[in-house]
Amino acid sequence: MNISSKYDSFGERVFDVFNYLFLTLFALITVMPFVYIIAGSFATEVELIERKFFLFPRDPSFNAYKYIFSSDTIFRSILNSVYITVVGTMTNLAFTLTMAYSLSRKDLMGRNFFMNLIIFSMLFSGGMIPGYLVVKGLGLLNSYAAVILPGAISAFNLIIIKNFFQNLPAGLEEAARIDGCSDFGVFWRIVLPLSKPIIATFGLFYAVGHWNNFFSALLYLNDNKKWPLQVMLREIVILSQFAAGDMSAMDPEFVEPPDQAVKMAVIVVGTVPILCVYPFLQKHFAKGVLLGSIKG
Amino acid sequence: MKGKKWPRPFVALLIAAMMVILAACSGGSGSDAGSNPPSGHTGGTDTDSQAPSEQKGEPLKLSIMVPAFSTELPDKSSPVWQRLEEYTHTDLEIIWTPNSSYSDKLNITLASGELPTIINVGKEPSVISAVRNGAFWEVGPYLKDYPNLSQANEIVLNNTSIDGKIYGVYRARTLGRMGVTYNMVWLENLGLEPAKTIDEFYDILWQFTYNDPDRNGKDDTYGMTVTKYTGPWDIMQVWFGAPNKWGEDENGKLIPDFMTPEYREALKFFRKIYEEGLVNEDFAVMDPAVWNDPFINGESGVFVDVADNARRLNNSMQDKEPRDKPYTGVFQAPVGPKGHRDLPTSGWSGMFVISKSKVKTEEELRRVLEFLDRLNDVEMKLLLGYGIEGRHYDLVDGYVVPRDLDASLKKEIEGFNQLLMFLGEPEPGYEETEINQMINEVWEANEAIVVGNPAEPLVSEVYGRVGQQLDNIIGDARIQYIVGQINDEEFDAAIDLWMRSGGEEYIQEINELYEAAKAH
Amino acid sequence: METTIHTTDHMKSEQRRSRWAKFKKDLWLYILLFPGLVYFIIFKYLPMWGVVIAFQDYSPFLGVFGSKWVGFEHFRNFFNNPDFFRLLRNTLILAVYDLVFFFPAPIIAALMLNEIRVGIFKRIVQTAIYVPHFISMVIVASMTYVFLTTNGGVINELVYMITGQKINFLGDPAWFRPLIIMQIMWKETGWGTIIFLAALSSVDVEQYEAAIVDGATRWQRLWYITLPAISSTIVILLILRLGNFLDTGFEQIFLMTNSLNRSVADVFDTYVYFVGITQGAFSYSTAVGLFKSVVGIILIYGSNYFAKKLGHEGII
Repeated sequence: MNISSKYDSFGERVFDVFNYLFLTLFALITVMPFVYIIAGSFATEVELIERKFFLFPRDPSFNAYKYIFSSDTIFRSILNSVYITVVGTMTNLAFTLTMAYSLSRKDLMGRNFFMNLIIFSMLFSGGMIPGYLVVKGLGLLNSYAAVILPGAISAFNLIIIKNFFQNLPAGLEEAARIDGCSDFGVFWRIVLPLSKPIIATFGLFYAVGHWNNFFSALLYLNDNKKWPLQVMLREIVILSQFAAGDMSAMDPEFVEPPDQAVKMAVIVVGTVPILCVYPFLQKHFAKGVLLGSIKG
Repeated sequence: MKGKKWPRPFVALLIAAMMVILAACSGGSGSDAGSNPPSGHTGGTDTDSQAPSEQKGEPLKLSIMVPAFSTELPDKSSPVWQRLEEYTHTDLEIIWTPNSSYSDKLNITLASGELPTIINVGKEPSVISAVRNGAFWEVGPYLKDYPNLSQANEIVLNNTSIDGKIYGVYRARTLGRMGVTYNMVWLENLGLEPAKTIDEFYDILWQFTYNDPDRNGKDDTYGMTVTKYTGPWDIMQVWFGAPNKWGEDENGKLIPDFMTPEYREALKFFRKIYEEGLVNEDFAVMDPAVWNDPFINGESGVFVDVADNARRLNNSMQDKEPRDKPYTGVFQAPVGPKGHRDLPTSGWSGMFVISKSKVKTEEELRRVLEFLDRLNDVEMKLLLGYGIEGRHYDLVDGYVVPRDLDASLKKEIEGFNQLLMFLGEPEPGYEETEINQMINEVWEANEAIVVGNPAEPLVSEVYGRVGQQLDNIIGDARIQYIVGQINDEEFDAAIDLWMRSGGEEYIQEINELYEAAKAH
Repeated sequence: METTIHTTDHMKSEQRRSRWAKFKKDLWLYILLFPGLVYFIIFKYLPMWGVVIAFQDYSPFLGVFGSKWVGFEHFRNFFNNPDFFRLLRNTLILAVYDLVFFFPAPIIAALMLNEIRVGIFKRIVQTAIYVPHFISMVIVASMTYVFLTTNGGVINELVYMITGQKINFLGDPAWFRPLIIMQIMWKETGWGTIIFLAALSSVDVEQYEAAIVDGATRWQRLWYITLPAISSTIVILLILRLGNFLDTGFEQIFLMTNSLNRSVADVFDTYVYFVGITQGAFSYSTAVGLFKSVVGIILIYGSNYFAKKLGHEGII
């Protein structure tokens, strides 16, 4: 947004200074612990116990990463995660966008009924066991569909997207319909292209959800060859937490828990891939997409 | 049986439409075991032969559900698995379930009505309810017929019992596992001996705090690290003579530990060592994840926890700065006013229960029990614990010497140790280092001084309802007393509150159950 | 008489016909609706029978058909629990704190980011502040301890240098709620801005330019252009947040609770967890969940009604 600043008053300039300072500080506060985690993942156990906080390891070591990547399982699980995330997000978007569009049309017969149905389901749910029995009844156990389909639509996202569609300028749709577009044509050729920021946003929300999800994978996937990255990483972390207090659950010959550095490397490995997605999506947020189409 | 049937064709049709974009690779599982005819039971098992030839007929089909602590688990191509099946004459399906989701999976398994033949369970509410509704075989009367299973410990069996009956074969754990770990360098510097009495224990804490045990000329040390996790307090109060959760009063009635004078004595001691700065001032909020750190960093020098933690602490300190002799030493609890006492563990970690829906007849039950018994043969213990001799480990002078395994070999043995029950004759182990020897000595000596919890096997309905609230009332009051936020009267008030919040009922119920169990 | 009947009949069939016509006209919309509808029926409504276990002593082994019915017993136990009002109070206060302090944070952050003109700076800040969303609560709690402990925590050392006293942030009940809110603000503010930044992207740049030509100040532009552009998103998010009003999040509270601050820390979510350990969570936690849901549904529809009264769109 290149808005000239020559009209700014003194007060506005003070605000600018404050704004930059504040955001810089906030960015530092949020990112520092993560830098520490990255630094810690390259540090030795001794250093992690001795120094409480640091941004550079004293003598860098790759042992934690060697430990994590010591087998091909982790690579396979990364592929699994990518698969679940990509296919899952596409499924989510397909289901959510279509439904949201049709519900955004206020003249749709039965619309209120459908909306109430959705809101109600957001608050009342049958819980884990009935959900599991449904997935089992569908014969989906141990397939990725069991991980993806039960969360195909987030009612929360659906409602926001629907609201966004409602706020699209009505004139555009009218024009398209006059040009002979069907409702599907309007949706496909007008609404979707106009909604790139919203698709990017909710695509990101869904993708992050899939990437971080371990619970349904643990529940529905018996075959450990299908496990996503987060399950693998979580097991490594859980292992070290067990050493802290619980005594009865441990074997006398219990494997020594992986050290702090491994825990931190686990966070880095689990987070960095999905973090990298965001900067690519940012360009969709950067400019108003409506501009050309409305004024054209 | 459960009648939870969905209109499947209808649903499947709908779902089919939804799955066009999904590459679903649904794997069918649902092997039915227990269909093959049970072979005749042969009384004694032959522990010498590698592959028992006496068994005839088809291998017994079995499924067994156990927790997994590893993400890399073997499949049937593992030679360990093959040897296991061969030795026990079974066709085995092992369902490893990540420990973090084990209880969810267990509940789902119970709900789905398709139980594996053998499941590892604890005494969680859903299991107790399943037991009471006849989901599992009562195995108590059969155990005596099996050479290994018959050697199960009576106390532990009692702990695992539900309503006075034994429903599972427990997985044994060291009963007297606790120990006091010291920083040996500090003890030497100060010319002190490990504490034999509580007074000596106090003296060590005091000197570690105020007499510069690390000889660096700075006042930068303290006695003992404690965290939010209350284990150390639970252990130490038993030294003072407080019962292990429940004890008998002068009339032979069970009362909770905090109503005994010994408990209060211990509490006063805790408060004193806190006031004098012998334990870390922030213990009430300290993150248990960093419990070991001050000891390793040379800030504190005493650790009250499981004895084997001495090894972990020593390893970390050796990493920091190698030393010929171990940094840590571990010893039994000091002797208190009521004699030499220590807190035990429950002695078990899960038990194998046998499902009635998979195992229909007594004949079959006996075969399954025989399988469990055989897992306790020395050969099987070695196989499940260490792998195959000459492949995963070597036996040298009666000690197990593990080989340096690459990932694929390591994977072959991963997870099998969850099948171990550690009953019967002990198997060879690793050669003992100085510190392991100390740990083992403490464990063995502890057997004689551990104090059982008479109420452990009792399943209280009141506790199920309000137990955690009751525990919080006393648990919080205890910590607040130690840090000096409340005094004796206020602690008594907390006990009153406990009584009013259901505690009175709880005591009464426990005593009734206790009487009933004794009469049994 | 006859004619009236005839007319109603006629009207009915007329109605039917016009409905059918409407359906046919919107056929595409129904086709688009269909997959989502099927999803909700299968994965949300088919398992919905699970709520009945709130009225049972549910045992997974016995299933819904085998478990004992206990009517409203769990609800009675819950409401008659001597701790009920303390739990309610703690939950409500935390929820209000969350609404007052945390809810506006992403909006303010998004507006501040929107005022940044250096593109690269804006992007870097955006990415940086969204990182903590990916750090688990366990780690956050751990770091909170390391920074705040009275036993050598950096922040407490600083406090000590300035005031000569240490503050027991982690044990003092007065600090519990501020800590929880600060953790949440640190962790989720950046993540929360994303949705508002997306909404802001729909603002027409020409509007700003025209406003500048008209001599509008930055505040005026903010007030008359930027805020209205995201106001409907704010309202929607607020209504949806109210639906989960009594959800305080279990893990964070659980991790930050200790024996010294439990009096203010106990909330419904942690209470249900503790009961679950000894009792088996199913029936009781479902009952508590039902209670929370009923409160949520009242708040959703209530706030939706008010939003519409105030001229906003609402969620339906």
